[in-house]
Amino acid sequence: MFLENFFDINAIIYTYPLLLDGFLLTVKLVAVIVPAGIALGTILALIYALGGWFTKAGFILYVDTFRSLPPLVLLVFIFYGLPFLGIQLGSFASAVLALVLNGSSYYAEIVRAGIVAIPKGQWDAGRATGLTRFQTIVYIVLPQAVRNVVGPLLGNTLELTKATSICSVVALPEFLRTAQIAQSHVYNPTPLVFVALVYLILLWPLARLVSRLERGIATH
Amino acid sequence: MTSAPVLQISDLRKSFGSEEVLKGVNLTVQRGEVVVLLGSSGSGKSTFLRCINRLEEPTSGSITLNGNSVTASNANLRTLRKQIGMVFQSFNLYPHLTALKNITLALRLSLGQTRQAAEEQAKHMLAQVGLAEKAHAHPSELSGGQQQRVAIARALALEPQVMLFDEPTSALDPELVGSVLEVIRLLRQRHMTMVIVTHELGFAREAADRIIMMDKGEIVEEGPPEQLFTAPKHPRTREFLKHFTGR
Ligand SMILES: Nc1ncnc2c1ncn2[C@@H]1O[C@H](COP(=O)(O)OP(=O)(O)OP(=O)(O)O)[C@@H](O)[C@H]1O
Ligand SMILES: [Mg+2]
Repeated sequence: MFLENFFDINAIIYTYPLLLDGFLLTVKLVAVIVPAGIALGTILALIYALGGWFTKAGFILYVDTFRSLPPLVLLVFIFYGLPFLGIQLGSFASAVLALVLNGSSYYAEIVRAGIVAIPKGQWDAGRATGLTRFQTIVYIVLPQAVRNVVGPLLGNTLELTKATSICSVVALPEFLRTAQIAQSHVYNPTPLVFVALVYLILLWPLARLVSRLERGIATH
Repeated sequence: MTSAPVLQISDLRKSFGSEEVLKGVNLTVQRGEVVVLLGSSGSGKSTFLRCINRLEEPTSGSITLNGNSVTASNANLRTLRKQIGMVFQSFNLYPHLTALKNITLALRLSLGQTRQAAEEQAKHMLAQVGLAEKAHAHPSELSGGQQQRVAIARALALEPQVMLFDEPTSALDPELVGSVLEVIRLLRQRHMTMVIVTHELGFAREAADRIIMMDKGEIVEEGPPEQLFTAPKHPRTREFLKHFTGR
């Protein structure tokens, strides 16, 4: 009785193509947002480390702003608010923009913290051998910094991946949204349960890895 | 000795905030000369060395390297720094790179050498400091003495006009000091121009052509090692020698 309601296998079989499309769209979102977020975050951290007080202030403003705004509020604003300013973005573009702004602010802060933790002697060695500041940070400081913050970077990637489910509110047919549609077709919560299980099974190993990395760093 | 100064430093001043750390230092270093800089902690020795390649920005004064101004506002710092080798107390090797790559990085980026030429040069330098077989070791796999020798090789690979050593053996266990000093002796035999900050007084006495005694940002005494060690004039020098020789 319980199983019939919450996990009716026929409901999955019936709505499978729809759910697969949703799943693939979520994968696509993650595949765009995560690399873009990491790239933008890293660039911002480099600008912070190489720039003067003005760029540092700009960095702090960016990071604080987009870490304070809930991603859902940001997304709703971009999708429903910006059209009033004459900027009309589709649901996919809005989702990508909102989550890249949000994700990059966290990545930027993580990479920045990694960079400033590298001993000054590393900069000295690079500059004393004729490297530019840019070469020093790219070849010497950043590789070490990133290595030291792999745990937090993966943690943020996990958060960002989960956050793609908010895109259902702008009618983007990602995994959760297709599950809601499927549910309305079969009058049964099974598709939702199924989506939750898929998220759990796919992300659990990543969550475990994050925990292990963070513990590894703590004991280092 | 020919009188072709490699380094000419005049009236060098450096302040951190309101604290004047270098109070008008003058120093001329001839080609092939080995100058040892002594002084108690906080006297400004590191700051002085770091001003020479402008890792620290001097407040005023002038520095020339082979006649080229280091302190001019339009000085080509990258070019000048390649000619000034620097060795740090804490080695400052790049921990994520092998010994070989620690050396090739600047050869490739600063000198624009090809990968092959850089690796050949780096292997040659490692052999010179007795670490040919450690080319592919990471710094964490090397002893302190070995790390410092890699750091020396890294600086030497750029074929500098002068080498600056800032307490190269202070971070080493006593039994490893010798291997690093041995490399510096070898450089001396090859007439490398060097400015060395060290507390190894025995080594200073044996290897220096001239000793400079620094106190509170000023040179208080200088002269050949024999004179300075046997007949120090300035009270601070006497005090310093007494402290470090334990007599
Ligand atoms: N970046 C800095 N900012 C502020 N003060 C500094 C800085 N670097 C050095 N100082 C100060 O300048 C003075 C000289 O320092 P320096 O490191 O040059 O001395 P030192 O002779 O090398 O001493 P040690 O033998 O301990 O290495 C010290 O009082 C130190 O506190
Ligand atoms: Mg010092």
